[in-house]
Amino acid sequence: MQMTRRTTLATLAFALMCSTAFAADDTIKIGVNQPLTGAFAASGTYVANGAKIAADEINAKGGVLGKKIELVIEDNKSNPTEAAAVAEKLITSDKVPVMMGAWGSSLTLATMPKLEEYSVPMLVETSSSGKITTSGNPHVFRISPPSSLEAEAFAPLASKLGVKKVDFLVINNDWGRGAAADFSKMLKAKGIEVGLVETMDASSQDMSAQLAKLKASDADTIMITAAVDQLTLLFKQMAALGLKKRIITTGGSQNPDQIIAQAGPTANGTMHIVTFAPWWPEKSTNPQAAEYFIGEWKKRGYDFAGTTESFRGYDGIRTIAAAITAGGGTDPAAIEKGFWAVNIMGLNGPIAFKKTGPEGKESGQSKPEVYLIEITDGKIAPVKF
Amino acid sequence: MDQFLQHLVNASVLGGTYALLGIGLTLIFGIMNVVNFTHGAIYTFGAYAMYLAAVALGLNFFVALPVALVAGLAMGALIEFALLRPLRRSDIDTTMLVMIGAGIILQSGTLWIFGGVAKAVPTPFPDAPLVIGPVSVSYVRLFVFCAALALIALTYFTINGTRLGRAMRATFQDHDTAALMGVNVSLIYTATFAIGSALAAAAGALLGPVYVVFPQMGDLAAVKAFAIVILGGLGSISGATIGGFILAFAEEIGAGYISSGYRDAMGFLIIIAVLLVKPTGLFARAERIG
Amino acid sequence: MTRLLAPTLLVVLAALPLVLKDPYLVNALIITGIFTICAMSLNLLLGFTGQLSLGHVAFFGIGAYVSALTALGFDVGLPFGLRVTYEGGSPLVGFGLAIVVTGLAGYLIGRLSFRVRGAYFVIVTISFAEVVRLVALNWVELTQGPLALTSIPNMTLPLPGLGEVALRTKIQNYYLVLAVATLSYLVIARLVGSRLGRAMRGLKENESLALSLGINATRTLTIAATVSAAMAGAAGSLYAHYIRIIDPDVFLFSYTVTMVIMVVAGGKGTLAGPLVGGLLFGLLPVALRPVMAPEAQWIVYGAILIAILFVMPKGIVPALEALTRRRVARAEPNPALEAGAQP
Repeated sequence: MQMTRRTTLATLAFALMCSTAFAADDTIKIGVNQPLTGAFAASGTYVANGAKIAADEINAKGGVLGKKIELVIEDNKSNPTEAAAVAEKLITSDKVPVMMGAWGSSLTLATMPKLEEYSVPMLVETSSSGKITTSGNPHVFRISPPSSLEAEAFAPLASKLGVKKVDFLVINNDWGRGAAADFSKMLKAKGIEVGLVETMDASSQDMSAQLAKLKASDADTIMITAAVDQLTLLFKQMAALGLKKRIITTGGSQNPDQIIAQAGPTANGTMHIVTFAPWWPEKSTNPQAAEYFIGEWKKRGYDFAGTTESFRGYDGIRTIAAAITAGGGTDPAAIEKGFWAVNIMGLNGPIAFKKTGPEGKESGQSKPEVYLIEITDGKIAPVKF
Repeated sequence: MDQFLQHLVNASVLGGTYALLGIGLTLIFGIMNVVNFTHGAIYTFGAYAMYLAAVALGLNFFVALPVALVAGLAMGALIEFALLRPLRRSDIDTTMLVMIGAGIILQSGTLWIFGGVAKAVPTPFPDAPLVIGPVSVSYVRLFVFCAALALIALTYFTINGTRLGRAMRATFQDHDTAALMGVNVSLIYTATFAIGSALAAAAGALLGPVYVVFPQMGDLAAVKAFAIVILGGLGSISGATIGGFILAFAEEIGAGYISSGYRDAMGFLIIIAVLLVKPTGLFARAERIG
Repeated sequence: MTRLLAPTLLVVLAALPLVLKDPYLVNALIITGIFTICAMSLNLLLGFTGQLSLGHVAFFGIGAYVSALTALGFDVGLPFGLRVTYEGGSPLVGFGLAIVVTGLAGYLIGRLSFRVRGAYFVIVTISFAEVVRLVALNWVELTQGPLALTSIPNMTLPLPGLGEVALRTKIQNYYLVLAVATLSYLVIARLVGSRLGRAMRGLKENESLALSLGINATRTLTIAATVSAAMAGAAGSLYAHYIRIIDPDVFLFSYTVTMVIMVVAGGKGTLAGPLVGGLLFGLLPVALRPVMAPEAQWIVYGAILIAILFVMPKGIVPALEALTRRRVARAEPNPALEAGAQP
């Protein structure tokens, strides 16, 4: 009796504490750490909007474990230090048990020590640097392809396209440098020559100096890793310099429709390695979900061009919901355990996590599909051989 | 050699807008003794005015440009009237800090209203470049270059060939004497700040369509303007004109042959070098102030 | 009145963690404390010598990088085929090195930039900070550039019998920052009370008069710049080991603006000013965060800066002093005080 009363009291006190600390006890908070301003604002905003669609869909179907999910979306300003501060704020102030983020590789890497400090799992939806899953952080679960996986998927296509020598123009951060390193390795293994590796700052607007250098090089192909805003500028500036080479972009943040809208005919003939092909939802690995998602995206008045980016937010939140269900609890440890049991069909392949990285501290990596598309006459088409 | 010629053309085209930025800043400093920290924010403001006029209102590109310029003129007059006029007798540090505050408000306001996602302004020019031998340049950049030169010429004419310009020069020489001679110094100050701001806004409106328009675009533009002004000597208009082209050239050569990452460092290295060797700038004509 | 402010504040701040448990608020207090140290050090230049340095963030950032790299180690190639490899070591050594290196940088920059005054000085200091930022951004081999230096270890303290103990918790870091802040305050108080401090103020009031009295301007200013830079470097070191990640954005102009606002709002040239300004503007974002967007917060910042310059150009502390003096004078008519209150 004594015991029960004490437990009742404790429960009561705990409930009281909860009701003050967490505004509503019947929701599960999910932290979303995205660049909503700064150099990657466009992409981060798309991902956040995709996440909202998933949250609304899940809540309309009754939520998870009988509770509604609530997204706490915070802006990391495209800056790594800010991304770490946002993670800290989400964990300590909002008390979220799980997060999704943080778009860019450098941003994600910056938040990772916080995951270890507080033992909170994070789903990585976009970042492609290899370091994220190989550095021994057991709280990281990634659904986007690392650049080595992109390179591997692209390898058979490189010889079919007749690529002889490649120059790189990449954004100067973990994402760009990681892509240049992984693709170089793959190309060299296939006996394809690698030339210049030029970098540009995330906030650079005028790349004509780099482009003038690339124009003078004897490579037949330029591989570019950058986000859509910079790609648009690059294609325009290439046209202005009369630079005509085979262009292949990597990283899956190209938003080809936005490129067509903003760069116009200068984008014709460019090829893009993407991870989701919203133009042909019927060919998606999960056509039903893809069609629902694209329909909902259009219904909300968002730009169709954003779907290649926003599907990551959609799949990310669905994966987190599946992890919460599988883990059977709303605390970080249960959700982390749940991630390993996730097995759902994403918009670009099945989502299930395999262990990667140093033994005992493995991170989770799912293996998504990769597609190569080409822009011809202002239209998007699969690359034909 | 071909690559060098291309760099040279790139630099010349960029130099025109740099000069425009520098002249606006140096004019305000020379006549009013105010270091205008809102310069970058007004450059951004001009670019957004261009975006609003050309995209939201759907005006013709060539009509939208003067609209943006006038918006810059009005914004400059407003800032001078509201913030600088009451501080006429304050020291240069106070006005500098007030200008920093105003710059923060302008920039954050832009971010708040328009969001952080960059906006593109379409131009009526063809995408294919003009090719002359080994060198190619896009028509829009060529237009920007010509428009910048026209505005620089207009500024020279205003200062050297009009009554307003004579009063401005008189105020620049000695504002007390100018006031005694019947010059309305307050009006001259407002006009100066408005013209300087209009030039910054014009630079933003011209470059916005070349690149993209976003709230932080003014940060780099402002520091470049400072570099140009230091290079040419604070208060010297011809110095700022030449300084603009020197900076563009140094950046382009630096990026093309040294490292593209240090492109934006060139301006600051120039500032430090100039101040070490000849602190009054290369073409100074005013006495050192401060 | 204000003379008691600093000791009272110290006692209150030292007792605060006993009642304040929310890690988010403790975190905000630590960051505020670090920036208050920067504001105090900036005040030495801006307030006591009257030199508006807008490149102060450079020393903060250099301190952060020096300390982080000392702890993490590095391996860089230099011209002429030289290579410097360093294993990495104690963060405490990093803290010391941060102070030494930034002090040295402050000395050199002082020697160079004090050749000019006014607008030129302001612009040269801004340029210095930007050049350092661009070096940090582009010297990827040393600084990792935009990839950021991550997993910086926490600060360690040698404790008798325990060896070097890492300060992992927020409370430990809180007291560390408080201790460094107190020490910085004492050093500055000592310095401005000395002969050198009088020379500094002399230069601020009337440079030509001070020069005619035999004060060596460049020497005096350079000493102030050295001490000021070293203090900002110490703050940078604390910052790096507390938040454990730094990227070239630690050199952003907006941090300098924050420090300047703290000093100007609190009262430049007063000992208590930066403390008041630092606490106010350090904690303001925490208070504003739930009610408005970050952009709107910055608008409020800008507006407050302008309002303070218009309404109380000397800052909060001098304004309060004037107010209490007037009230005391009114309560007990004292001719001497009354005369003192008149400007």
